[in-house]
This record gives sequence, structure tokens and C-alpha cells, in this order.
Amino acid sequence: MTKRWQVLPRLSWRNVRRQWRRSLLTGTAMMLGVAALVFSRTIGDGAHEDWIDSGVRQGSGHVAVQDPGFRASRKLEHRISAAQWEAVAGALEAPDVAPYVERMTSRLEVLGLANAPTAAVPVNIVGVDPAAEAEFSQLGVEQRLVEGRYLEPGDRLHAYVGRRLADRLDVALGSRLVLTAQDESGDIAGQLVRVVGIFRTGVPEVDEGLVHVPLATVQRWLGAEGDITTVAILLRSAWDVPRVLRRVRARVEEATDEVAVLGWREAMPELDAAIKLDDFWGYVFNIVLFVIVALAIVNTVLMSVLYRTREFGVLRALGLTKRETATVVFTEGMMLTAIAGLIGLALGYGLVWLLFRNGLDYSGALEGDLTFSGVVLDTVVIPVYRGVQVVMSLGSIVAVGIVASLYPAYRATRIDVAEAMKFEA
Amino acid sequence: MAESPWWRIGWRNLGRNRRRTVVTASALAVGYFSVVLMVGLLKGLVAEMIENGTGIITGQIQVHAEGYLPDKEVYATIGGRDGADVAALVAAVEVDPEVHAATPRVYGGGLVSTGSATAAALFLGVDPQREPRVSKLMRGLERGRHPAAGANEILIGSEMARTLGAEPGDEVVVVAPAIDGSLGNDLFIVSGVFHTGLVDLDRAFAILPIDVLQFLIAMPPSRIHEVAAAVRSPWRAVEAMPRIQTGLAEAGFDASAESWVTLRPEMVDYANLSEAMEWVMLLIIFVMAIFGVANTMLMATFERRYEFALLLALGTAPWAIVKSVLYEALALGVIALAAGVAITAPVMVWWYEAPPNVSWLFGEYTLSGALMRPVLRVEYPWVMAVGAAFALFITAVLAALYPAVRAARVPPADTLSGR
Repeated sequence: MTKRWQVLPRLSWRNVRRQWRRSLLTGTAMMLGVAALVFSRTIGDGAHEDWIDSGVRQGSGHVAVQDPGFRASRKLEHRISAAQWEAVAGALEAPDVAPYVERMTSRLEVLGLANAPTAAVPVNIVGVDPAAEAEFSQLGVEQRLVEGRYLEPGDRLHAYVGRRLADRLDVALGSRLVLTAQDESGDIAGQLVRVVGIFRTGVPEVDEGLVHVPLATVQRWLGAEGDITTVAILLRSAWDVPRVLRRVRARVEEATDEVAVLGWREAMPELDAAIKLDDFWGYVFNIVLFVIVALAIVNTVLMSVLYRTREFGVLRALGLTKRETATVVFTEGMMLTAIAGLIGLALGYGLVWLLFRNGLDYSGALEGDLTFSGVVLDTVVIPVYRGVQVVMSLGSIVAVGIVASLYPAYRATRIDVAEAMKFEA
Repeated sequence: MAESPWWRIGWRNLGRNRRRTVVTASALAVGYFSVVLMVGLLKGLVAEMIENGTGIITGQIQVHAEGYLPDKEVYATIGGRDGADVAALVAAVEVDPEVHAATPRVYGGGLVSTGSATAAALFLGVDPQREPRVSKLMRGLERGRHPAAGANEILIGSEMARTLGAEPGDEVVVVAPAIDGSLGNDLFIVSGVFHTGLVDLDRAFAILPIDVLQFLIAMPPSRIHEVAAAVRSPWRAVEAMPRIQTGLAEAGFDASAESWVTLRPEMVDYANLSEAMEWVMLLIIFVMAIFGVANTMLMATFERRYEFALLLALGTAPWAIVKSVLYEALALGVIALAAGVAITAPVMVWWYEAPPNVSWLFGEYTLSGALMRPVLRVEYPWVMAVGAAFALFITAVLAALYPAVRAARVPPADTLSGR
């Protein structure tokens, strides 16, 4: 004998199939909803990965190692010595951390003044290791290089400056600049440098306020031989940051409390806020879409319930409890949602892969550069596929299904058996 | 012939199954509400960006000597070496009806030192009375007070105060290269500390009374670099700009006016991008709504196939039946729009008056160089409110087309005979 629990889903499924045109229409809404969710998440995650990547490359990396006081003071007195760095370097070489690290670079950063005969401009002077930094911040790549070249190993009195800064100081390639800043003892010290290259990032603050100089030059000029202010670490992926941060911190705290290990969210709170805002918009938009989809599904299932008064009357007369009648209706809604949702999921990923696997290019919509919290947004977004997106899509499918099927299921229990059977259709 | 009955048939049919009408209309109303609200939020974001981006320091309109931008050379003062009648110049800008206030400015670069610490600074010479009416820079006073005209007082940013370890009342040395090639330096009292939230401003800017800065860098009082003006609404600056330009020429000043649109083109770009996004949102939401409505209309017409068959058998033209179903959709649109406006209007007004603070969700951030507060504000999206209303009707009618055509194709004889 067929069990009751086997009968109920079969009843539901038959009804989905019997009204195939209606199911198709409602299902299409759900399919599009899920496909839109997949699209917005893959593109959104891709865009965020780009932002984080360019943000951390220009900033202090996914993970930064600094003196605890440096971020607030940006003063030379809050620097880390070679000995302190050794302790942290050990933690980064540990087998459970090292595989995540892509590259790192040491910097000595000070605030100072760039002086030329006609003007003086406040700048952030960064002493860099030319070889490591070239790969890290990529300020010297073709798109950013305006003139000349990036710093090279062996350079001494050379400077790499932004275009706006060069314009304001009225300097060209080969021109001399005097950088002034407070040295290790608190006195103002000057350093003559020669411009070897000019870059343009599109971020006004950076193009006007950043100077790269060889690390050894800055160390000698400011009397801080061997010392640095920041070690910027680039990981293979931004998603590894929490894991790496936890492991490195645990080890560093054992060794010393004079060094802080910061994640990019702490080091760049503005970028963090920008990404959260963008995510927030994504969620609002998707919730709105699903509310509309849910209304379409409520309508379909509700209608199918109200048309089948007699059918439910018969089922109840044959001995189905109220709960079982509701289950039939509820299962019907869930089946419709689930099938359409899964097709939508496949459709979404299929379309994104088919159309945008090489990147979604929206550069046509913009003439200049779009900057968000000091990061120039890349106008070509490569979609990113993550497990979380699938979980989120499945979650919304189930949520919409439940929300949309509850009321019709409740309605189905309210049928008066005697009334329903009395009516001749 | 009496008025066509098809309107009334369509309208009445909505009343026959009220629950269905309510659910369908609510899908459209929710669509309308979401579009208007989201576009309102997006416009709020852009307004916040423009207001803060231009309001903190830029001002919506700036007047400079020809060629001052982009190099900002200290010699390029308005009116050249001889300078200009500053009061008349400011008045010539302020006379424009759109201009709310205008103020003269002088820029310089140099160092501020407490003896133990030194910071590089961009000096901004301002008229302490006029400046607060144009920019928010001086309104963000954290501690102390504004510098008084004629006094050796300096207002510094919060980051600079921290670097220097300086508090209001402390004495600092200000060093600035003067335009005659000498090095101007003098003792100043820190009158106060301002905070804008933009690290670059808070770190680099120091505000001095305009006359004091002019004296420090050996510039006569007639020479200024800039007149900055605030207009009543940022988008009006574009219209006001040519008028101001003409006014300046008529008053005999050799100076060029520029609005924030050319001073901060990246913000215009973002505004345009966000407008494109508004239409994409409208499209997506109403495409989704089509399916919900189409379904209901299909069921509603299927239910009435005997009625349609009878009408057709009595000689009604199929076109009349299509019309009747489309009228029904239009009537549904009217109900949905009324409901949509009824829920949207109060929410928008409430939101506009009391924008929620979402600092628990995210902190301050910058967009196209403008500092953004973590506040979700809305602007009234009038164009989109009308656009979405049209979209709602188009959606309803598009969704009804297929059901209408099917209704008109009901085979009369078969249907009536119950086959």
C-alpha cells in the first residue's frame, strides 16, 4: 500500500505539471530573480576583489606590520628596527602562513615637503626597495608611467613623483627637488633628489602627494639606518586575510608587543566602508527583486488553491487532515520555487560565464577615472565565483519558497468540507 | 451609440476576484515603491557627494586669474602684479542671484613648527567673516575658535595638531617662502583645531586671516588667488557660471570663472553613471513584475472563457475582447499606482526629513574624493516617480497582451458546448 507521505508530494507535483503554463510563467520570474542574484554577486565580488587589490597595492598591503603608534602619528619615532622585524619575519615564514603570502615590501614613510624653486608641496615620502616595490604597488607599470622609468636597484638620489606634483612644482625629468622632513633627532633635514620618472594613477591625492625614493637614501638622510616604518604584505587572495592575520598575530604577540599586525580593513577603514556600502546596495536590490518574485508566486499558488476548493474538499472527505492538505499546497509552492530557482542558478552562472568570463567592461559609461575611497576603479570587472554565492542563492530560493507558500497553505486549511462538496461544478 | 461597455467590463472584472486583484496590484505597487525609493537613495548618495565634495573647501564656483589652474603658481594672482580691488571683485561675483556668498582666498605653502615637531602645510588665507558662509572647512571646529582678522592666529587641522602635539593657545613658528624670494617667518598662536574627516585636509591645511598671510608672503592686500562662491543648489552653478563670467568682464576684471563641474569632473562622471543605473533598476524590476501580472491575467481570462465565447457568438469583434482585457489591465494599473503612491509618498517624506544614520553598518568613506557620512539620505526623484508610473502601466499592458489575444481566440462553438 502506498504510504500517505508518498501521496502528498505526488499530488503537489501533478498540480505543478497540470498547470504547466502557469508554472512556467511563475517559474520564469523566479529563474530571472536567481539569475540576477548570481549575476550581481559574481560581478560584485569581482569588482570588490579589484578594489581591494588596487587599494592594498597602493596602500599598506593585505596585512601590514607597523609600530602600534605609527598609523595615528605617522611619525618617524614610531618605526620598527631590524631586530623587531626579524621576530615578525619568522612568523611569516611558518609553514601555515608562508603559502598564502604572495610578496612583501619594506618601506620607510615620512611626511615632508617637496621643494622646488617655485613652490613647496606637502607630500608623503616613501623610501622603497625598488625591486620589491615595483612588483608590489605597480606604480611603474605601463598604464601608470607617464615619463621616464620607475626606481631601479642601485638608484641613490632618484625620485619617482606623481604628475600633479610635477606640474605643481614645475619640474620635469632630470629636474632637482629638495625633500625636507623631520629626521630621527627631530631636526629638519633636507635631501636633494633628481626626478627619474613621473606617474599618474588617477587618484588626485596620490598624484599630488606621493614621492618614491630608494629606501637606503631615506634611511641615511633621516638617520634611521636599517629601520623601516611599515612592512606591507600581499596575500594570494583577500579572502585569506582573517586566517593569516590570526596565525601571524598569535606568534608575533608571543615574541613582542611593540609591533602591530594590521589587516587592510583596519589599515584602510575608508575602503572597508566603501565595500560595505556597495554590498549593502546589492542586498537591498536583491531583496526587492525577491519580494516581487515572492508576490508572483503567492499569487499563482493562491489561485491554484482557490480554484481547487472541490478537490481539497474531496481530499479532506477522504481523510486527509488539515495539516496534510496544507502540506500538499506548501510542497507545491516549494517544488515550483526550487525547480525554477535551480534552473535560474544554472542560467545565471552559465550566462555570466558565457558573456563576461573575460570581464564586464563599463568604461564606455565613464570619461574620467572613478575613485572610491582613494582607489581608482578598474572599468573591466572579471566575475568571481565563490561557494558563498551558491549558498546565498539556495538560501533565497528556500526563503522565497517558504514565504510564498505559507499563506496559500493556510488558506487551503480553511476550506469548509461540506460547502466544498455541495457545490456542483 | 452609447459609450463603449468594454471599459466597464474590464473594471468590473477586477472586482469579481478581489483577493487576486489585491495580490497582483501589490506586486506592481511594490515595484513602484522600490524603484522610487532606490532611485531616491541613489540620488541622495550623489547629492551627498556633490554637497560635501564642493562644500568642504572647493565651493561651487571659483574665480581665478587666467592660467592659475592647474599649476596654482603663487604669482598668478587675479589682476596680475598690480592686483585688483578685492571688495569690488567679491561683490561682482556675489551680485549674481544664484550666488549665496563669495569670499576671497590666498594660498601659500610652508612649514608649521612647535620646536619639537614640524609639519608641512598648505596655508589658506581667508576672510574669517565670509569664509564660513562659503565652505564648511571652518565650520568643522573641533576645539578653540576661529582666527581673528589681523591677528597672528592660525587654525590647523586635527591631524596636523596631532602631529605637532599642538593645542589651542600654543605658540607655533610659521615659515613660508614669500613671493619676493625671501623667507617669511613669524610666531603664531594656534586659535583652534578643525576636523573635516578628509585626512589630506586635516593633515595639510592651515587657515590664517587673509591679511596676515598676505603680509607673511610679502603680497600686497590687493593680490588674491581666488574668489570662491557658494550657490543655492549645486546644479544651478552651471547656469550661473557664464553670467558671472560676463559680469566680471563688464566690471573690468580679467579673471575666469569655473564651476565645480569642470573643477571636479570625476563627480559629474559618477552622477552620470548613477543615472544610468537608475534606468537599469527600473527595467529589471518591472520586467520581473511582468511575470506576476501576466500569470494572473491569464488565469482571469481563462476563468471567463464561457463569457468570451458567448460574446463572440453574439457577434462581438475579437478586437473588442482584446480591448476589454487591456482595459482591465489599465484599471489594475490605476489601482496599483494609487496604492504605490500611497505607500511611497509618506515613506519618502519621512526618510527625507529623518535620514537614518547607519554608522553601525559602515563608517565614513570617500567617493570621487568627497567625504561621505554614513547616513542613508534620499532626494525626491521627481523624474523617476513619473517614469516609474509610466513603466507600471506599460508593464500591466504588456503582461495583458498575451492573455488578451488568447481570450479573443476562444473557439465559441466548442467552448459553449462544453467540449
